[in-house]
Amino acid sequence: MTISHQHQQNSIRAWLKKLEPAFYISPAFIVLIVILVYPLGYSFWLSFHKWTLRTFKTEIPFIGFQNYSDLFANQEFLSSLKITVTFVIAALIIEFSLGMFLALLLNHELKGKGIIRSVILLPMMCTNVVIGLTWRLLFNYEYGIINYYLSTINFPRIEWLSSPDVALISVIIVDVWNTTSFVTLMLLAGLQSMPEEPFEAARIDGASSLQTFLYLTLPLLKSTILVALLWRVIDTFRIFDVVYLLTAGGPARVTETVSIYIYKYGFQSFNLGYASAASYFMIVILLASAGFLARALGRSD
Amino acid sequence: MALSIAPILYLLLTSFKDPKLTFSIPPVWIFSPTLQNYRDVLAGTEFIKYIGNSLFVALASTFIAVSLGSLAAYGFSRFKFRGAFWLRMSVLIPQILPPIAIIVPLYVLFNGMDLIDTKTALVVSYLTFTIPLAVWMMIGFFEDVPAELEESAMIDGCTRLQALIRINLPIAAPGIVATAILCFIYCWNEFLYAAILTGRVSRTLPVTITSFMTNKAILWGRIAASGSMVLIPVLIFALIAQRYLVRGLARGSIK
Repeated sequence: MTISHQHQQNSIRAWLKKLEPAFYISPAFIVLIVILVYPLGYSFWLSFHKWTLRTFKTEIPFIGFQNYSDLFANQEFLSSLKITVTFVIAALIIEFSLGMFLALLLNHELKGKGIIRSVILLPMMCTNVVIGLTWRLLFNYEYGIINYYLSTINFPRIEWLSSPDVALISVIIVDVWNTTSFVTLMLLAGLQSMPEEPFEAARIDGASSLQTFLYLTLPLLKSTILVALLWRVIDTFRIFDVVYLLTAGGPARVTETVSIYIYKYGFQSFNLGYASAASYFMIVILLASAGFLARALGRSD
Repeated sequence: MALSIAPILYLLLTSFKDPKLTFSIPPVWIFSPTLQNYRDVLAGTEFIKYIGNSLFVALASTFIAVSLGSLAAYGFSRFKFRGAFWLRMSVLIPQILPPIAIIVPLYVLFNGMDLIDTKTALVVSYLTFTIPLAVWMMIGFFEDVPAELEESAMIDGCTRLQALIRINLPIAAPGIVATAILCFIYCWNEFLYAAILTGRVSRTLPVTITSFMTNKAILWGRIAASGSMVLIPVLIFALIAQRYLVRGLARGSIK
């Protein structure tokens, strides 16, 4: 074997060694490119075209920014955006306050913590369709048990899902039930990983528990809160299943979130170019809020 | 705490009530349980077939995602290369995208390939969220396996792939099982993609439940019975994997 031959073999080996990570990592990424990146590129293309169930077999005409300009001129779209933002803000404020309260409580209470933790884990794992329908049964105006027990304490029956004034609140209640467990468990994990020394020092200095919470616990929990917030903002913003099963966006569109709006245009009117434009707008909002929170997280670490 | 399972218990209770009692006023709490609703749901072969569909789709998607995910997670946990950080972060992006935005183009593409109402289409669409979830979750579990173990195996003549299979997989097994359970639950619960992509042939359970809301009436007894049947495996799995799920939560890798 000549020296140059051996040299060549070594360089091939070095080259193969460099490619080794690709052998492990690329299969997952190749599949994701085919089933996710390509379709998303396709829907970007679609968002500049007119796709309807009647015409798509013969032609899909290019219409420029028409879908996007229609979108921003559409009152219903703008109102669905407003509803979604209201929903996100209201639900998150309640979930984080309640979640913080429960996490602090569980952090002290030691007895039976394992069981409590398993039980509060359950709502977030449940099938959303079943959750939506179960609450629809509970909220039923005439026969639901919530209204029944309200009436036994002389409280008027409430049109939980059929009154335009109340429906959004009812949907928020269900979301709070469904996801406060997630917030609680995350905050609890954050609380339990905190160092003990600063808290002892605070106790020795005679800090009140409110002071300790505001000036020690909250700042130390900041990155946990931001991670939880990141997931919750994203998940609440794109909510579909539970709302769809509870109200299908009604009554009078007061619970029509952006996802439901797109669903209606895409899969009831089959105007898929328009639906693509709307989903791209939604993607931009979600990426921007995720980026914003991730940057805040990066700075707090 | 009681509040967090009360609705679930109410659903279970309703599923054992005679359909006539579902809406009795005042509500009945003590009654002789009946399996009538379950019998109604299971009558005929359709529901059994849809259980099969749900199982097949969830298992197939989970299996593919966990296989590809273990390879990728192992790769990320063992190799340092240029761009590794950003590649790793890019796995999070699919978890940010709204499902409705993903299903619009998938519907058009599957429609063009005549794959609407097939289990294949559903398995493929579920991979869009199970693969990123599996990769991201398992990176943590593989990083917990000390590298020395496989290095000594490789000195003894194992190839790296053999070392991965013989050393890393068994040690990381509980984490892999937890990942698989979570992927399975997500697929089993999924509604939007299934509602759009499936019809009479490939329908899954969450869609089937909604079919008990007919134009004439909402068959609450059957909804409660089928809903309970869908929930019970989820609850059992969630309790089994509880410890790992909570750990994943704490790391910010599960939502």
